[in-house]
Amino acid sequence: MRVLVIDDEEDVRYVVRMSLGRVGKMTVLEASSGAEGIARARSEKPDFILLDMMMPDMDGAATFLQLRANEETASIPVVFLTAKAMASEVQRLKDLGARAVVLKPFNPMTLAADLTAILEG
Amino acid sequence: MIAPSIPENEGERLAALHRYQILDTTPEEAFDELVQLASMMCGAPIALISLVDTSRQWFKARIGLDVQETPRSVSFCGHALHDSDVFVVHDALADPRFATNPLVVGEPKIRFYAGAPLTSPEGLKLGALCVIDRRPRLLDTRQRSALRALGRQVMVQLELRRQITERSKAERELDRFFDLSLDLLCISGTDGRFKRLNPAFTSVFGYTHDELTSRPFLELVHPDDVEKTARELQNLRLGRKTIRFENRYVCKDGTTKWIAWTASPVPEDGVIYAVARDITGAREVERLKRDFVATVSHELRTPLTSIRGSLGLLAAGLMGELTPEAREMVAVAERNSVRLMSLINDILDFEKLESGKVEMDLRPTPLLRILERSIETTNAFAVQEGVSIELHSSNTAVLADEARIVQVVVNLLSNAVKHSERGARIAIRSHAGPEWVEVKVEDRGSGISAEAQPLLFERFHQIDSGDSRTKPGTGLGLAICKAIVEQHGGSIGVESRLGEGSTFWLRIRSVDPALCAVSA
Repeated sequence: MRVLVIDDEEDVRYVVRMSLGRVGKMTVLEASSGAEGIARARSEKPDFILLDMMMPDMDGAATFLQLRANEETASIPVVFLTAKAMASEVQRLKDLGARAVVLKPFNPMTLAADLTAILEG
Repeated sequence: MIAPSIPENEGERLAALHRYQILDTTPEEAFDELVQLASMMCGAPIALISLVDTSRQWFKARIGLDVQETPRSVSFCGHALHDSDVFVVHDALADPRFATNPLVVGEPKIRFYAGAPLTSPEGLKLGALCVIDRRPRLLDTRQRSALRALGRQVMVQLELRRQITERSKAERELDRFFDLSLDLLCISGTDGRFKRLNPAFTSVFGYTHDELTSRPFLELVHPDDVEKTARELQNLRLGRKTIRFENRYVCKDGTTKWIAWTASPVPEDGVIYAVARDITGAREVERLKRDFVATVSHELRTPLTSIRGSLGLLAAGLMGELTPEAREMVAVAERNSVRLMSLINDILDFEKLESGKVEMDLRPTPLLRILERSIETTNAFAVQEGVSIELHSSNTAVLADEARIVQVVVNLLSNAVKHSERGARIAIRSHAGPEWVEVKVEDRGSGISAEAQPLLFERFHQIDSGDSRTKPGTGLGLAICKAIVEQHGGSIGVESRLGEGSTFWLRIRSVDPALCAVSA
């Protein structure tokens, strides 16, 4: 399974890389901004994208809409990663078309399994 | 000549006189008319209202005499003070008390004097209403009673005058407060127009007094608040008080201000008395505070994600097997990052509840399901602490936001576990009444002192149980419980005695259990 992690926080990407790569045995691709993420999604065609909500310049929602607007990336499932735990915020992202929303902080030992379950479910 | 003696109650008498604040004031028609009447009725060329001061008699009204006052020592009225009825001197020259009096031997050459005492309501003699003639004579019965009656009228006027003076002084004082107040004070008609406004209105809204009173005040209300303001005005017309009503006004410079009102109507007079305050600044501060709390909390989550993630992976041995000491150290760090996380979650949760941003999804719910779910959530922790939980509940239903009430019960249960000894039992009981269901969580822990109990539900309050086993919490748990239960229209509390354990209770609305099936 190949996953693209789009998050501006290098440390968060590191933990996700360890969690999904080492624990979950996934191939982890990384991007530190929305723009870079869109470019990598087009070139690498990952199986799914883990997208951070709060990023400077282009936030998660804007990135998501561009991914959806582009034919090459429109069908890639996107799971949001957010620190905003409000129910209304989660609902907003789901309404936007997100496959699921994962709240920060996540459990690094179960993240891979949780995501697999979401994508298969 | 014999000078008038000083009455025994002179101090009191003078104090009473001075309370009328009449000495050395200008002539007043009401008193002038009374001396005219006295003069006419008694057929005397001179008539006076004489007030006997410390060392003088001063005339509030006079006819037939040019002087304003004379020394008390030569006054006839000084003598009249000692008489409870009309004091009469038929011929001063034939009276040893007055024969050599300068007012008798010289101007105005008094021969005849009759004075009715001016007696205050408390029985003190302030002076006399007197008639004077330059020839000896008598006073017939009719004249005597007329003088007496007119004397009483002088007192009535004095009393009235004092009341008016006091009233207007009180009014001036109130006016001063009215003008000084930074809060908005007004009297409005139930027709929706301001009748009287204090200057604060001008400074808050920027409109002149006339601009404010010349149109219905609804015209100044922010368009989005007109409807609710009109509704509130209708309530006031019906005689209902406004306790705290907030609406927005558009000021002359186009800015919007938030105003909080308290108003009390008098429908029979068609008026509303209102006090209001500009809360624009306070609301802004409140908003900034909320935004700040939310932002900081969100910002804290991101670094915590990395910390907890790293620690979790380390602890799981992903980076190689750890030595026992390293494992312990990682466990300490992980435990504390979990604590920090729950604190942030609680702050956010509490902030949302307090600002009313959380809508309760109230549905008829079986109480048993709520309690079982709560126990399920707490059980692992209870087992770890060697504490057992017993459930005694009847099959009843409550009107509740299930997840939120579970949150409350879980909180109470976790607290009970924290404060229980290993091997102890905790009981949950429910009592269903016709309108309310009460849920009790009982522990046999160390208990809470009576002084500490009222503070328990305050935010960031933690009791010092002196029990080293007690696990630290965030200090927000019970404040959150209270906010949730209150948003259900219910109540929450505690009964406890030191050394005898505690019983936390919550009361929420009961419903017919049959409704649960319908809504499920």
